[in-house]
Amino acid sequence: MQCVLLGVVTELRATTHTIEFPYTRTLGPVIGPFLTGLRDRRILGIRAGDRVLVPPLEYDPENGNSLEPDFVEVGPAGTVTSWAWISKPTRKHPLDRPFAFALIKLDGADTALVHAVDTGSMDAVHTGLRVTARWRDERKGRIDDIECFVPEGDGT
Amino acid sequence: MTDTADTDTVQGDEPVTMMEYFMSLRYSDVVSPPVMRFRDALLEGRLIAQQCPICKLVYVPPKGYCPIDTIELDERNEIQLADRGTVTNFTVVTPVQYYGQKETEPFVRASILLDPPGGMLILQDVVDVPIDEVRPGMRVEAVWAPKDERDVDEIGNRSGSALDGSLRGFRPTGEPDTPADAFSDKVW
Repeated sequence: MQCVLLGVVTELRATTHTIEFPYTRTLGPVIGPFLTGLRDRRILGIRAGDRVLVPPLEYDPENGNSLEPDFVEVGPAGTVTSWAWISKPTRKHPLDRPFAFALIKLDGADTALVHAVDTGSMDAVHTGLRVTARWRDERKGRIDDIECFVPEGDGT
Repeated sequence: MTDTADTDTVQGDEPVTMMEYFMSLRYSDVVSPPVMRFRDALLEGRLIAQQCPICKLVYVPPKGYCPIDTIELDERNEIQLADRGTVTNFTVVTPVQYYGQKETEPFVRASILLDPPGGMLILQDVVDVPIDEVRPGMRVEAVWAPKDERDVDEIGNRSGSALDGSLRGFRPTGEPDTPADAFSDKVW
């Protein structure tokens, strides 16, 4: 790349800077148990009236009331309710190959969880697809303790 | 519903109450022509700047414009600066070993007003002198890194006075101190 400035040819160069912030965050009375559950291969929702919210919230989104820490295990299988295909994953994405970000309503839940779905190709993902969690062997109490969801029958 | 495989290596069995979140932002900038010339000059052991023809302020590194008079500056406005000047003010930093901190002992970061026509370098290291002898008014000169060790690759459009790839810092010249009146309107 070159730039002509006042008749002087200057070769342009780029610099790269990386800024890093290591944060440690407290999780609170609801996300803490949720992530503890993931570490133990369990997906927990929270009861809000007649509904089960997954991921669990500290407050009922219908009325803002605090929720009691009344957890219920859901999944690990569920149904895709909406999705977007990521054809060119970046280094920040959970998978290094094309995948879908999907809303997944887990069995026993009334709300949907966002997670990655690995189907191999865009043709294989659709609303209504049945998927199940693929767990990491090494789990740390993070949302990516579930590596991704895969179509039921693909093995977890 | 829950079946734990034998291969699992779960991190402890205490409740999870905290999470680590590592944020990383990567910026890539095309270096502007005046900063490219500034980089080339550093490799030759020279400091260049641009001086606004209207307000006479000196910008180091050169910016390509004067933000006060809102005019473009170019090579015609470039000047060579002295690599010596006066400490106008300074801070002693006692390093806390947070992520990324490479220093372990207290160190100085000084603002240095270069000799006329001027130019202010901020956050410069002052070397070859005990910290408790650094003072406003102290005369200093640049300590250049050996020519073949100079590295300007990290100097971009927003690097400001970060010259540590080219300069080891500034050391006292031993000249008499500059009177405070000479720089009291330029303390940063």
